[in-house]
Amino acid sequence: MSDALPENDPVIVHGRDFVRYRIWGGIVAFVLFVALIFQAYFLFFGDGRTVPEVRWGVTEYNGRDMGVQDAASGLLTATALADRTTFQAERYQTGPSPKEARPDYSVVPDTKMTTAPMEGGGKFTESWAIYGDDIGAALRPAQRTVGISSLPYPNAALFERPFGRDWRLGIADIATHLGAMAILGMGFLLALILAVRGRVPIAHGRSGVTVKRFNLFERSVHWMTSISFIALALTGLTIAFGKTLFAPFGEAGLGAAGWISTWGHMMFFPSFTIGIILMTVMWAGRNIPERLDLHWLRRLGGMATDGGPNPPAKKFNAGQKLIFWSAVLGGALMVVSGVTLMFPYFWTTLGTLSWAMLIHAVIGLLLVAIFIGHIYIGTVGMQGAFWAMWGGEVDRNWAKEHHALWLARIEGRGRGDLK
Amino acid sequence: MARLKFLCDTDRCIECNACATSCKNENEVPWGMVRRRVVTIGDGEPGEKSVAISCMHCTDAPCVAVCPVSTLYQTDIGVVLHDKDTCIGCGYCFYACPFGAPQFPRATLFGTRGTMDKCTYCAGGPEENGSEAEFRKYGRNRIAEGKLPICAEVCSTRALLAGDADVIGEIYRERVVARGFGSGAWGWKTAYYPEEGV
Repeated sequence: MSDALPENDPVIVHGRDFVRYRIWGGIVAFVLFVALIFQAYFLFFGDGRTVPEVRWGVTEYNGRDMGVQDAASGLLTATALADRTTFQAERYQTGPSPKEARPDYSVVPDTKMTTAPMEGGGKFTESWAIYGDDIGAALRPAQRTVGISSLPYPNAALFERPFGRDWRLGIADIATHLGAMAILGMGFLLALILAVRGRVPIAHGRSGVTVKRFNLFERSVHWMTSISFIALALTGLTIAFGKTLFAPFGEAGLGAAGWISTWGHMMFFPSFTIGIILMTVMWAGRNIPERLDLHWLRRLGGMATDGGPNPPAKKFNAGQKLIFWSAVLGGALMVVSGVTLMFPYFWTTLGTLSWAMLIHAVIGLLLVAIFIGHIYIGTVGMQGAFWAMWGGEVDRNWAKEHHALWLARIEGRGRGDLK
Repeated sequence: MARLKFLCDTDRCIECNACATSCKNENEVPWGMVRRRVVTIGDGEPGEKSVAISCMHCTDAPCVAVCPVSTLYQTDIGVVLHDKDTCIGCGYCFYACPFGAPQFPRATLFGTRGTMDKCTYCAGGPEENGSEAEFRKYGRNRIAEGKLPICAEVCSTRALLAGDADVIGEIYRERVVARGFGSGAWGWKTAYYPEEGV
């Protein structure tokens, strides 16, 4: 511990001196704040109900062209279909039966109905959901119902699973909205920290001497995993939020973006899986939680002040350990649930698949939020941190300020005069 | 406006599977997929019931709400249709569906599901109504011709009813009154009345 930071050491570099970083932080924080307000508005006031977007109308009646669709053509559709429906009444009413004349099953000849886009479908959804006492008395209560089926298809024996409606709430209202809140909120918080506090500096300036932190293999594994993760995150976010992000470019563009994302999502998962397995082998031993981490966390890693002294840490501090375990445990959950979803019915039922999808979505969105934090602190958030994973060497003063115990150990081993 | 629904009278369904067969034939549904099925509850036991099920074309349809690429859409007669050109095969509709209606071809690369297929209420898809392109992707567009789904129109016991909800509701009600019993409108609560009634 003799090499720990003396408290009276002068701080040469201050976080607040990174003016350009702080201005950009402020701008980004503002933009993300607006986005957060938007998201919060949709969370509380958005209408997630399904509304009809297309109308039917009789555009050709008895060989006569009716032209464009209007209220009359819609009414004609309703009448024609309702008339047709009456043919399904009892045989003594509508035949065919020996006593009655054979009814005319054909509709008015040369009649054609077509579809056209429509606005204001909300009133349909509203009126459809209302029912009176006579219907209410005839309703069988919503209940899960599975029987047997003589048809040779997976899941053919299912009649009803009201859980589908809960699943919809889970994915459309809870996972995507709260996921967006988590991601935007994390970005906003970090940008705000950057604007107010500036970067975490190497308080004593660069020493000019570097220390080896990660070898080539470790760095290769890290970047393979991170590139895979970013690709998986971008494709996953396209699937989760594509409707909001790509809808302005038309639905064909949305379909194309979605199609690329589905395939991309599957292309990058093998390298991601190999990455997290290798990272577990390389780093799990050094990431086991210990008492020191509580001390580190209680002081937020000394992030609040430039002068420190920062709480001492070994090769990985408590923050890095949390990131490591999110990557490994979260990644494992993502891989297991993801592979399950790739092979429907292979070892699962529809119920398990639904839960796997919900878990996959929620954990995925949380991991994106967490790793935005990791990317921030490894690049703009902290001076000198990026080079640990890029070139493998860090400035000795950086190591001394952030990983004092680790520096002492490697230097002690190297020179033998410290400890 | 007409609100089209399906109603299967479980006291009449005899599990003949004519609805499933005629559906596959009329719409030339691809191999390995089925739009209309018959499920038997309590098979071989007293009180055994059979019920035909397909897409119910729900009110506030969950599949439309969860679709990330706006493939699914609803029409003003209640029918839920899909666009095979934008579908990415993510399977969300399949998890959200209360009736197991969306179908995915399974024999594709890397376990991807291919594009979804489901009952169209014999109403085709986004292509020009009644066109050859529409038939190849979605099957027959009987609604455009003023007809109702083949599964219901072919039903020999008139167990499976399709069409205007008020009309089929009345047919069913009269039937129950006449014979003195009825096990209710199966699936209607989940499909059509997601909220409590007024």
